[in-house]
Amino acid sequence: MATVEVRDLRKRYQDFLALDGVSLRAETGQLVTLLGPSGCGKSTTLRCLAGFLEPNGGDILVEGESILSTPANRRGFGVVFQNYALFPHMTVAENIGYGLKLQKLPKGEIETRVYDVMKLVRLDGLGDRLPREISGGQQQRVALARALVLKPRLLLLDEPLANLDARLRDEVRWLIRDLQQQSGITAFYVTHDQSEAMAMSDMVAVMKAGRVAQFATPREIYQKPVERYVADFTGEANFLSCDEVAVTGEGRYSIAVAGTTLDLGGVAGITSDTPVELLLRPEALRLTSVDEATFRGTVTKSAFLGAALHCEITLPGGGVLKLSAEPNANVRTGDEVGIAIDHSHAWLMPEVAP
Amino acid sequence: MTLRNPKLWLAVPAIALIFVFMILPITNMIEMSFRTPGTTEPFGEEFTTMHYDRILGDGYYWGVLFRSLFTAGVVTLLCLVVSYPIAWHMSKAKGLKAVFLYACIASPLMTGVLVRNFGWMIVAALNGPLNDVLLGLGIIERPLRLLFTQGLVILALVHVFVPFMVLPINNALRNINPSLIEASASMGANRREVFRDIILPLSFPGIYPGMILVYVLAVAAYVTPALLGGQMVSYMPTLIIGELTGTFQWPFGSALAIVLSVSTILVVALFTALTAKLMERSKA
Repeated sequence: MATVEVRDLRKRYQDFLALDGVSLRAETGQLVTLLGPSGCGKSTTLRCLAGFLEPNGGDILVEGESILSTPANRRGFGVVFQNYALFPHMTVAENIGYGLKLQKLPKGEIETRVYDVMKLVRLDGLGDRLPREISGGQQQRVALARALVLKPRLLLLDEPLANLDARLRDEVRWLIRDLQQQSGITAFYVTHDQSEAMAMSDMVAVMKAGRVAQFATPREIYQKPVERYVADFTGEANFLSCDEVAVTGEGRYSIAVAGTTLDLGGVAGITSDTPVELLLRPEALRLTSVDEATFRGTVTKSAFLGAALHCEITLPGGGVLKLSAEPNANVRTGDEVGIAIDHSHAWLMPEVAP
Repeated sequence: MTLRNPKLWLAVPAIALIFVFMILPITNMIEMSFRTPGTTEPFGEEFTTMHYDRILGDGYYWGVLFRSLFTAGVVTLLCLVVSYPIAWHMSKAKGLKAVFLYACIASPLMTGVLVRNFGWMIVAALNGPLNDVLLGLGIIERPLRLLFTQGLVILALVHVFVPFMVLPINNALRNINPSLIEASASMGANRREVFRDIILPLSFPGIYPGMILVYVLAVAAYVTPALLGGQMVSYMPTLIIGELTGTFQWPFGSALAIVLSVSTILVVALFTALTAKLMERSKA
């Protein structure tokens, strides 16, 4: 149980700056996700937290105390690896009990604690198997049990679901979240999957080229991204470039876009000179009759997806909007349609955060 | 006629080679070891177990056999101790450094067996460089008699057999997933515990073949013991060659060779049985 603060963390490999001043904070019991494409520094950050890498600058504080001089084996953090890293020559029970054995606990206590945690992650009866004799999902749960059994101060998960198929991924995802919340362990979770990040996290850090582009709640990341990169990485998004921007209040703007004027919220501090973009998530858009519409355009693509009809509409100015229509909507390629927007879901942001 | 598995044809040359150059001679040798000694021919007409009775009934041969097996064991263990750190460094090396290390490791094998052993004779001579160095460092006061000792035989054998130990261990170490080491550290293991519990058992698939190779080669080594061991200590191969080429007692020599082979196989089998569980668990 611990608060964790990462302060201005830097890591350099020869010519490559892997971490360029990463700052994060996790309160006790929070699950913080590091989200980003490969090479953005999310795994490097996690490995610095675990103590497998030594940063070149910055600090990591747990409960206010720097842990940088503490080696990995004395940090007391649980780590779950992408490839699980189970010891192939030890049985499931030996894998889970290994850390307890190192603490030289009595045999009986080790057995009880291993038994309890195996029950918790539903591995009962598999204790005598070798890792290669169980399925991928079971291996994943061994990896989780092995970290949890030590009652770590901090749980570090490096893309733990990446090697599982879609159905298992969903199941293990909720298992991880449940266990983390039940035990109240602070956790850092690395992933490149935005839906995983959204569903599980208390806080999300979207990372970009060794920096934190935005650190906020999943809702804020999705609805109020600070720049195009963040919006792009956190889900389906439409972007329109704006002709004129007028500041109408604190974080309120009036813009001219595709032939209309819109009043909407946006990132604070935008001026009329800032290169900006209008973010319209698909759920902010709705097909409507031409006369009630905010925008008019031509349907250039429509695909029936079962639960929805996916449409792409080209605006006269050249912008393209993607949206999900009601599955039985009578829309064909070439039709002239109107689009209404939900102003509360429209968001103005700079192309690149200053 | 169509063959069900055409790939079997590919094995024919190998099978023929093994049959002609291994199965036949060994069969021939086994047969010869049961023949009576001959005076005008290599062996006599009659079959007998007298050679085995003589070997097994004579403490001298038991002693030589034990010395051979034991010395090979010492060579194997020393080889393991010397080779493990080398293999560890090699498994971490990349690019040109790795190539350089491979060349260094293979270097003992780049010299012919006679040249290498004559080299040792010069190095270990009373006024040779090894004694000079030891005297110079003040470790010894008078030159040591190193040549024609069991110690020198062991040293020379360890030197030449190191590659056979390093290469398989290096291979096994390269196959260990580095995140296993990180995982054990995150569970609280210090460096010693990581080595003891993770690295050492997982490198066993390399240690095992290395030990078998070196042991078998060391048991059968002839030139090095013959040149560096002198006349004082006998090993089975020197004894066998003596019987075959010195006194022309082919049946008796064959029996000695069979005894040595069977004993070596028993040692290897015992080692395999003792480590079977570890091997089964640690292989990838």
